[in-house]
Amino acid sequence: MLDTLQMFITIAVIALATFATRALPFICFGSREPPAMLSVIEKNLPPMILLLLVIYCLKDVQWLTAPYGIPELLTIGVVAGLHFWKRNAMLSIFTGTTLYMVLVQFNAFSFL
Amino acid sequence: MVRNWKDKKEAGKQNKDLFIIAFKTTVPVLLGYIPLGMAFGFLLDGAGYHWIYAFIMSLFVYAGSGQFLAVALLAAGAGLTEFAIATLLLNFRHAFYGLSLLEKFSGVGRVKPYLIFALTDETYALLTTTDVLQGSSKSRFYFYIAALDHLYWIAGSVLGATLGSVLDLNLEGMSFVLTALFVVLTIEQYFNSEARFPFIAAVSAGTLSLILFNPDNMLLASIVLGTLILIGREKSMQKVQKAQKTQKTQGTSEKEIRPINSSSQPVEGKIKEKS
Repeated sequence: MLDTLQMFITIAVIALATFATRALPFICFGSREPPAMLSVIEKNLPPMILLLLVIYCLKDVQWLTAPYGIPELLTIGVVAGLHFWKRNAMLSIFTGTTLYMVLVQFNAFSFL
Repeated sequence: MVRNWKDKKEAGKQNKDLFIIAFKTTVPVLLGYIPLGMAFGFLLDGAGYHWIYAFIMSLFVYAGSGQFLAVALLAAGAGLTEFAIATLLLNFRHAFYGLSLLEKFSGVGRVKPYLIFALTDETYALLTTTDVLQGSSKSRFYFYIAALDHLYWIAGSVLGATLGSVLDLNLEGMSFVLTALFVVLTIEQYFNSEARFPFIAAVSAGTLSLILFNPDNMLLASIVLGTLILIGREKSMQKVQKAQKTQKTQGTSEKEIRPINSSSQPVEGKIKEKS
């Protein structure tokens, strides 16, 4: 257990380290032009990072043991299908989340 | 006077509308940050720390996975250097987020430092995908989104730290709302842009990192890998374009390429001198 002062110092260190990672590009390219290559890939970063965040959400799935990631993949399929069809963000997100909560809480794939 | 007052009222109404739009945009994050924040607060409480620390950390650190890591390091009795290095490594992905926001964040004025501070995965995802309503203030809209997400996270962590052991809600699976949000925003990106290669880069970099790296490091690894793939592809495309251009110019007139040749010669000479 840390005492109060140690805890405050630790939190300050974590806060500064986190802020540093977020501020880095703005500090580097605040006054000078970013390199040409960077501005070319800049617009391609958001779509790539968003899809990587989806994949990142699957990082703890155990693919080789039951239920083999089926609840996750099924739900993502439903969310994506619904969104391509209706393009209503709230509808896609809440249908998906409700479905996933039901699937895991009732252990719907326990037969596997 | 009367007009001035009317204008003010009008502006106030517009801000309120903007706030409501921002709130609606962030509802999925609300539903994701409450259970996730609660899990963090509950863990910190379980490690024996007062709930005020959950509040302080969520207020000043505001990094989901970073704060979970901090609890693990606290429990392991880590030193300050370990805290600093582990946090830098875990959150280094955020440096890539800023790279694609340089333009969007220019001209947002005095809220810029806060927007940079509050740049979590979820806020980044919303800011890069949501369009600002025409005629309304970009800085205000971004600030509302960032601050609302921040507020949800603080509320969740304090709830978890204070009531976590009392409440026995079955929220299992609820944080999947954030996965669903990312899926929806990815599809919106797909509609918004013609570019298809970023998705190919993401699938290859993501799958590879999922296999090669452990779950804690995979996000940073995959973003670095994906960025390298994007750069590599851009470089090879530029080469192809250059080759096509020189072919064309060689076919039409030799005079045009002369200046390029003459400017490159001294450089070649210098390199030769050096070697």
